[in-house]
Amino acid sequence: MSLDDFVAFSSEVTGFTEFDLLGTGQAQSYRDTVAGVVGEQGLAELLSAYRREVTELSDEQLRAEQLTRSVLGDPRLGPLARNIIKLWYCGVWFGLPGHEDTFTASPQAYPQGLLWYAIGANPPGARAPGYGSWAGPPRIPALPASPIPRSLTRNPSAG
Amino acid sequence: MIFPEGASARTSPAAVAGRVYDVVIVGAGIAGAVIADRLSREGRSVLVLEAAPAEDLTIKGYEAYLTDFYAAASKDNQSPYPVIEPVPMPRSTDARPIRPGGPNTNGYLVQNGPHSTDTTYTRVLGGTTMHWEGKILRMLPQDFELAEQRGQGPKWPLGYADLEPFYREAEREIGVSADIEDQRYLGLTYPPNYVFPMRGLPPSYLDQMVARGVDGTRVELDGEEFSLKVRPFPQGRNGIPNPAYDAGRGFVPVGAVSTSQVDEGERCQGNNNCVPLCPVQAKYHAGKTLAKALDRNVDLLAQSVAYQVHTDPETGRVTQIEYRHYHDPNSAEYQTGFARGRTYVLATNAIENARLMLASGLQSRSDLVGRNLMDHAYLLTWALLPEIAGTMRGTNCTSGIVDLRGGRFRRDQASFSIDIHNDGWGWPTGAPVSDLVRIVDQNTYGFDLRRSLVDQVSRQLLFAHMIEVLAEPENRVTVDPRYRDRLGNMRPVISFRVPDYTMRGAAFARRLSRQLFERLGAQDHTSYDPSEYGYVEFEGEGYRILGGNHLAGTHIMGTSPGTSVVDDNQRSWEHENLYLVGGGSMPTIGTANTTVTATALCLRTARHLLHELRHQDQPVALATH
Ligand SMILES: Cc1cc2nc3c(=O)[nH]c(=O)nc-3n(C[C@H](O)[C@H](O)[C@H](O)COP(=O)(O)OP(=O)(O)OC[C@H]3O[C@@H](n4cnc5c(N)ncnc54)[C@H](O)[C@@H]3O)c2cc1C
Ligand code: SF4
Repeated sequence: MSLDDFVAFSSEVTGFTEFDLLGTGQAQSYRDTVAGVVGEQGLAELLSAYRREVTELSDEQLRAEQLTRSVLGDPRLGPLARNIIKLWYCGVWFGLPGHEDTFTASPQAYPQGLLWYAIGANPPGARAPGYGSWAGPPRIPALPASPIPRSLTRNPSAG
Repeated sequence: MIFPEGASARTSPAAVAGRVYDVVIVGAGIAGAVIADRLSREGRSVLVLEAAPAEDLTIKGYEAYLTDFYAAASKDNQSPYPVIEPVPMPRSTDARPIRPGGPNTNGYLVQNGPHSTDTTYTRVLGGTTMHWEGKILRMLPQDFELAEQRGQGPKWPLGYADLEPFYREAEREIGVSADIEDQRYLGLTYPPNYVFPMRGLPPSYLDQMVARGVDGTRVELDGEEFSLKVRPFPQGRNGIPNPAYDAGRGFVPVGAVSTSQVDEGERCQGNNNCVPLCPVQAKYHAGKTLAKALDRNVDLLAQSVAYQVHTDPETGRVTQIEYRHYHDPNSAEYQTGFARGRTYVLATNAIENARLMLASGLQSRSDLVGRNLMDHAYLLTWALLPEIAGTMRGTNCTSGIVDLRGGRFRRDQASFSIDIHNDGWGWPTGAPVSDLVRIVDQNTYGFDLRRSLVDQVSRQLLFAHMIEVLAEPENRVTVDPRYRDRLGNMRPVISFRVPDYTMRGAAFARRLSRQLFERLGAQDHTSYDPSEYGYVEFEGEGYRILGGNHLAGTHIMGTSPGTSVVDDNQRSWEHENLYLVGGGSMPTIGTANTTVTATALCLRTARHLLHELRHQDQPVALATH
């Protein structure tokens, strides 16, 4: 499975655009981390289930139901999908049954965590916002226009 | 700030063995560093024995700390610091409830209980200030007179007025940012025209929101009425220099310690990571003071763990310090060395000073060494504010409520100050990562996940009540030959019970925070789990008391050898040429984080030592007629 597939899936489950995700510089490292733990096969299963069950649906409501049912709600794929979300948000791979190790994907993973960005903050100890920045209200970044990853829309170059 | 190249390798055990220094200092934390600095400034020969390796004090070493911190999956407050076999240190993650039948020997501290503490200190070059938060509160004048005014605690041999000039000197050394207008309360006085070296750090958006709800709240306690107000704390981190400082001479902030000159005095950038490590060294650490001292030929012998203080049985005078020098931080092999001086200063912090004295068989006749161990008791309460407060931004803590630091009520119950934590519920719950995990595990993803995070993290409010603890002889550090570290040093054995006086303060704090949350329209989410360490039941209610990292009291100062270990100069009553310095000398700790007071005491000791050495230098004048 290609990096693009991984990033498209990640975009939908994290709520960040593919552009944002690639901007962290961590996509390849995260993909390799996941494959390293569950194997290429395990990752491919997840991504193909997503492609098969979700990507063809254009109705947002249906899409959400389907993603919850066949991916997040799947006893085998769900834990893996949730772990990928957590990886993007804080750089940590959490132990799973059968793969108990909890670890940070790389020292750069943590400063790139989306968790802090999502709430208008910065990861403690990294990407400092500057003297006095804390005195004003937080700048919480706006959500993308659509939850559907851009590479999966019928006409990726439009709009 | 330049770290003199090669300074950490200037001497060796062999070279040290052939010298008698004016002063041998054990421990390169802030206490040892300021004494080394002041004595070397006057040309005194100084040896600093330090347990930890010394290469760390370069930008490169500092960056390694940072990388380790980024890479650590569990970001507990010691995570940047290398675990090395010869010099173990406590970690908050070692704390466990203590089961009947034996101590918890899990971590470096052997915990006898009944209370299990997660207090820590850091055995690296620069000591625990590498790691500290850097809140700089002076003790109140009434804290020095608690015994006289309220009948509580041992007596101090000196008062606020005696220490005031040294507080100012410590504030210069640390580089304190605060606005003087905010720091005049409960009798805190300063000389006319005094200002802090740098302007106060702006209060966080969260502080401002809390202030709108809390300011003006009236509280009655022991017949006295208090009006609460959110107030910024003085900070040991670089802000904007105040041109009015030092009678208009201003102040130049000290920047990162490096082997080459880097930007001068970088300002705090709001990394919200002061604990455990400030990435830009905006926060003071003792390496800044050490670098100055090392530039003046102070000898630093690193990787040398003091093992025993030897004394002359007749005179009680210290004759030498025996230390264990290891070559390889990954091995427990060592060679024994001896260091000799005219005077000796133990500056290894309250627990380690007592440990070393007791391991050396130097229990004082008053049996007070190691007793009266104190540490602030922290009670946390947490809630969700009705609006987005921008939590998780700024330094760990910019403001708090200090109005209950003093008052008549102290005859019955502990005083406390309240910190408003900019890092939300991080301390009790592991937020925001724990929130992320919880929300994702509910299969919330995508936009809903982002919205939930904002909703559940950016509204977090945490009050940390820092509650006074008084000296109790049964709260103590001991040693036991059964418990040793890999280098053969006896480990500290801690017995600690949270005094009822403190718990009455805690109970009051809990009630008050319910009231404040209500005023703020905040939803109380506080809960204390009886199965966790630190759980205390008091008068039918459960609380969780966490460690304050403000270790004090194991060698208290006083006016006589029967009631204290050291005199007002921190000089041992029983060992004339020995000084036990730092928080351990404090008979009370009030509600001030201990370091600025301990540093002021050390600066006072340095002045005394200079005087003492000069006096000893003088040839005995023969009386002639
Ligand atoms: C998380 C945290 C937050 C804190 N926040 C604040 C705050 O906001 N404000 C405040 O005032 N205080 C704070 N403190 C407390 C403050 O850090 C300490 O009071 C202060 O650093 C103590 O300085 P010291 O020099 O006495 O001891 P230390 O800094 O502990 O230094 C002791 C030195 O001695 C060395 N040593 C130890 N044993 C031996 C031995 N046997 N032989 C040779 N060397 C030895 C150690 O390696 C170390 O270098 C905090 C502490 C922690 C842990
Ligand atoms: S907020 Fe940051 S830059 Fe400021 S002192 Fe803390 S860690 Fe350093």
